[in-house]
Amino acid sequence: MKRVTIDPITRLEGHGKIEIFLNEEGDVENTYLQIPELRGFEQFCVGRPAEEMPRITNRICGVCPEAHHVAGTKALDALFHVEPSSSVKKVREMFYNAFYVTDHTTHFYALGGPDFVVGPDAPAAERNILGVVHKVGVEIGKEVIDTRIRNHHVIKIVGGRGVHPVAGLPGGWSKAITNEEQEEFKEICQKNVDFALFSLKVFDDIVLANQDYVDLILADTFTHRTYYMGTVDEHNHVNFYDGMIRVTDPEGKEFAKYPAKDYAEHVAERVESWSYLKFPYLKNVGWNGFTDGMESGIYCATPLSRLNASDGMATPKAQEAFEKFYETLGSKKTNGRYEPVHHRLATHWARLVELLYAAERMQELVNDPEITDPNVRPIVTNTPDEGVGSVEAPRGTLTHHYWTDENGILTKVNLIVGTTNNNAPITMSVKKAAKTLITKGTVITDGLLNRIEMAFRNYDPCMSCATHSLPGQMPLEVVIWDSDGKEVEKLSQFTDNQRV
Amino acid sequence: MKTLVLGLGNPILTDDGVGVLVAEEVRKNLPKDTPIEINEVSVGGLSLMESMIGYDRVILIDAFQKADGNPGTVHKMTLQDLIAISPTQHSASPHDASLVTALEAGQRLGFHLPKEIIIYAIEVDNVEEFADQPTPLVAEVIPQVTESVLRELHFEISNALAS
Repeated sequence: MKRVTIDPITRLEGHGKIEIFLNEEGDVENTYLQIPELRGFEQFCVGRPAEEMPRITNRICGVCPEAHHVAGTKALDALFHVEPSSSVKKVREMFYNAFYVTDHTTHFYALGGPDFVVGPDAPAAERNILGVVHKVGVEIGKEVIDTRIRNHHVIKIVGGRGVHPVAGLPGGWSKAITNEEQEEFKEICQKNVDFALFSLKVFDDIVLANQDYVDLILADTFTHRTYYMGTVDEHNHVNFYDGMIRVTDPEGKEFAKYPAKDYAEHVAERVESWSYLKFPYLKNVGWNGFTDGMESGIYCATPLSRLNASDGMATPKAQEAFEKFYETLGSKKTNGRYEPVHHRLATHWARLVELLYAAERMQELVNDPEITDPNVRPIVTNTPDEGVGSVEAPRGTLTHHYWTDENGILTKVNLIVGTTNNNAPITMSVKKAAKTLITKGTVITDGLLNRIEMAFRNYDPCMSCATHSLPGQMPLEVVIWDSDGKEVEKLSQFTDNQRV
Repeated sequence: MKTLVLGLGNPILTDDGVGVLVAEEVRKNLPKDTPIEINEVSVGGLSLMESMIGYDRVILIDAFQKADGNPGTVHKMTLQDLIAISPTQHSASPHDASLVTALEAGQRLGFHLPKEIIIYAIEVDNVEEFADQPTPLVAEVIPQVTESVLRELHFEISNALAS
């Protein structure tokens, strides 16, 4: 049996590896996505005061510290049985949407977007932010970085510290927004809305105007009919900070809607001997292997999933973008809801719809009189025991679950991180792309491997691994092994595709 | 000249936090009013590049892992060294871009980025387990690296002491 290894996966947080096994005929027999395990997180937390969790968990991952901080803070609300005031919720939501603007911007322009903006077959060395800058121009590149910087500024001011925030308290927030800060943020929020609208136009001009790209998005290679999960508000509109967890089936009907604390009644985790990372699935559908369709409990939790699981967006311009998204991709309305879009590469577009929503929501919040309420630090007196908190992390529903003794000292911790939700769909997508693209006699090229990578890159995977070992970018390496386990071919993207 | 000392790494992932610990030691040993900024971050790529904007010189302290390495060995490197070995090593943050790519992008976009980047890379052993203390061989070199970083800041420290 031949063996193809993509190791490690470029631009994937955590040191992942994809292995593709070929059979005697040269067709793909199986594929495995493997993620190294980080050990001892629960032991590290047990015995510490629960209030430390928003600051500890935001160190798990260098990509979404803000998501862990807010999920952890909400878990403390539940743990200490305290309902935050409406102004506390608004300050937290403002902070959280600023994070969404930075994160979705980064993904589109630096990680997933280069496949479309620069092209899926462009040399790997150009499929990055430098290539994007080259294609769209220096001014726009500067605007990308400026967008990140001005929203990191909001995160730092509101969160009390840049990158790794510290402001979350049970039932509250340690720092109120001043009137001067509010005025400064108003300008930032307007720029965000303009930038999000501009980014959707970039998608229109570069991706939708190119039939090859549209065909790629609609290709069966990148399509799975699964269940979808997302958090919705009382009108079933997408919400990143709070609401009910809603699951819709592959035909678009609501399958379940529940508060985050009931997650264990709806989601179970499958263990496979070859993977450290578990595979969550819908308990009430059941595990049916790595397959899609109504009978398979595999669900997906991504920007595309959140749009599919909702009835629309809560802000006007994002709602327009939402409608255009479904109309353009041929979705019909049934009982007032659009049918789900199952094309995984449409996730990049869905992410931009969400970017616009985050920007518009920030603008609503910054103009809300409660946003400068100085009373954001309640005294909490209830005895803690157990609490669940959840948010929509950019890459999927993020759940924190803490148990403590009566002094608030942690006795048990469980986290379901965003990407874990998508472990089964990613595995399925990689296998389908590899099976379609590699058949007997296929010459393995950099562009072909990139298309396999695109199958999982659209999920924006992040494996909660915060090792920041020097020095640079991870290589994409393909090794083909013959049936005796001997290496017969090696291809690396950093050697201009020369065989080494 | 504006100088930044930046400890990089995850302070709760055993040896990964060694850069952060060195930065803390440098802060403790710096005379009052020395015009040096000290920061610590657990990010890479674009965020790391952005944290260097506005500085002329950056001293970066980070964990470094290589096959058949010796934990506790300290390497002093320049950005050019980093560029030379980048293709074969793990990324600082593959979520967005490598530091080298991010710096190149930042320069092309006209941001004020440091002309000089000095990197103290400490070979580490364990970056797979959560703990807030490094392993003994790595912990042992913290005073030595702190001393080296302080020597890099000699000019600023002398001026601060003289004034």
